[in-house]
Amino acid sequence: MDHTVWTLPVRHFLRKKRDVLAIDLPGHGRNTDKPLSSISKISDYIYRFLDKNSIPEFCIVGHSMGSLIALEMASSQPERVKAISMIGTAFPMQVNDALLESAKNNSQIAIDILTFMGYSYSSRIGGNKVPGMWMTESTKRLMQRSKKGVIYKDLKACSTFSNGLEKAQKVIAEVQLILGSNDFLTPKVKAHDLIENFDNPLVEEITGSGHSLMMEEPNKVLDYLKKLFKNF
Amino acid sequence: MKKPKDLNLETLSLHAGNKPDSDFGSRATPIYQTSSFVFPDSETAAGIFNNEMAGHVYSRITNPTNAVLEERISSLEGGIGAISTASGQAALCLAITTILGKNSHIVASKSLYGGSHNLLEYTLPRFGIETTFVDFRKPKSIKEAIKKNTGLIFGETLGNPGLDVLNIELVSNIAHKKNLPLLVDSTFTTPYLMKPFDHGADLVFHSATKFLSGHGVVIGGLLIDSGRFDWNSNKLFKTLNDPYKGFHNMKFVDEFGPAAFINRARKEGARDFGACMSPHTAFLILQGLETLSLRMERHISNTRKIVEFLSGHEEVKSVSYPELSNHPDYEIAKKILPKGCGAVFTFEIKGGYESGKKFIESLNIFSHLANVGDAKSLVIHPASTTHHRMDYASLKKAGITDKTVRLSVGIEDINDLIEDLEEALKQANR
Repeated sequence: MDHTVWTLPVRHFLRKKRDVLAIDLPGHGRNTDKPLSSISKISDYIYRFLDKNSIPEFCIVGHSMGSLIALEMASSQPERVKAISMIGTAFPMQVNDALLESAKNNSQIAIDILTFMGYSYSSRIGGNKVPGMWMTESTKRLMQRSKKGVIYKDLKACSTFSNGLEKAQKVIAEVQLILGSNDFLTPKVKAHDLIENFDNPLVEEITGSGHSLMMEEPNKVLDYLKKLFKNF
Repeated sequence: MKKPKDLNLETLSLHAGNKPDSDFGSRATPIYQTSSFVFPDSETAAGIFNNEMAGHVYSRITNPTNAVLEERISSLEGGIGAISTASGQAALCLAITTILGKNSHIVASKSLYGGSHNLLEYTLPRFGIETTFVDFRKPKSIKEAIKKNTGLIFGETLGNPGLDVLNIELVSNIAHKKNLPLLVDSTFTTPYLMKPFDHGADLVFHSATKFLSGHGVVIGGLLIDSGRFDWNSNKLFKTLNDPYKGFHNMKFVDEFGPAAFINRARKEGARDFGACMSPHTAFLILQGLETLSLRMERHISNTRKIVEFLSGHEEVKSVSYPELSNHPDYEIAKKILPKGCGAVFTFEIKGGYESGKKFIESLNIFSHLANVGDAKSLVIHPASTTHHRMDYASLKKAGITDKTVRLSVGIEDINDLIEDLEEALKQANR
């Protein structure tokens, strides 16, 4: 929902003297720009940001909607993207109409459903690897901070993202998918077609994790990112 | 759409934060009685120290047994995270020192536990933190007490010992209009009776020594963060908004967003002040929490019967309990404490101080000691004990006289308790 979900891996790669950006997307976190309702518009927005800051080549890590942004960016300007990590991903990333409707006003019920579905059954009871933090309520709080319309537009962008398999075929970057075995929002079987259409992707499955992989298994996610980026 | 069914308090109080031990399958939370944790390699050590990996370093800062307790209380209160501390007082100190320092100011309820009053009135001023005590029943007095350097509003869900019921919604609205957080001591109510975050509080702490552990065998505190307060909205909170030299210039609001407070509290206060809870204590509090709802039901039902008994007794001058229609907070109590107003209350015995003394010394089941929230029934005379450091004016403000007797009603058989009280009342004025 905002850059703070990336704090742990960002700190790691900064310590390793890598240049890292954790971007608040339009309307998210402290970004006061209007939220965008399509993956391609968000991709263009990030490209404008990168161009403005003279960043020609890069790797992208994206979770859930962010994974589709990574795919869009790597397929639209393939020569600029060296590697992508798609965490908690699927194609198509369909969203239930009733959930979309209730998300229109950032309603608490939409937040409750996304949080409930966003964690494995086991993680809903806790056992956070980060000591003393209660995961589900932390996720709710991030969503409650969203500006009006952000959750709806994000969900809409995911559900209307099209030609994902064709786009996967255009990607020349190194591709990694990190999937949770107990992901209820983007079940791992829904990543199957994507896997088939990428050229030799790395597929990492985290047993027992739900959709909130950076919260549920932060150390394993970091290990897989380190593995992907060791050659870049 | 239908709201997903979250687990209820009675289930969370048994399970939240705990998974069967991965090594041996222990169903109970193991006691990790260790000061430190072995790193598998240097890279992991550096990663955990740099806060890029999850893990434990040293039990003063985190410990797996304590972490289960911290998650459990967070789940029960509806918070994002918690820190277990050496005592309730340590939790209060941690809350205050995480956000305030020299030249800052607190607005607090005049009706506080004696130890908290002492900390705010006499000790913290030595460190440049001043407090104005006001009647939280008077919104105007709260507003008037807020100064430019005020950084915190603080009250108790049920004031000790007069049982002033904190109108959390009203007070939090006043606080939030000034971009100030409301800290609430929820020791007397526990999440079973009321969750302060649902009414607008931002931070909650407990003396877990009391009802949460429930058996009078440990000293411990818990500080819980709702994650709702926007610390970025008030630049007065420099510890959360400015770079922290003690952690590579970390800016907590930038790196942790809603969790800025609880992360600073752990990375600075738990680390530097070191008032940590022992893992064995955390284990005992977890055992207590497992039966919280059962105990609280019995505490409340016994209390209601004793309040009724004392209210009609000829040797009793007055009883102060918010479920009685003559209590100043009767209406607000009905609204926010429908399950009960706790198991601690005061009454005045006819005949004055000597009668009170005789009454206390004549009790057999009620133990005369300085604690509340034990499964066993307790009694004390606040003016000469728990609140003895307060001057006459402060005692009066807090609703305490030299005739006030405080009871903490336990879970014994109600007939035995009433018989004990009846007999002691007979002795009191002989």
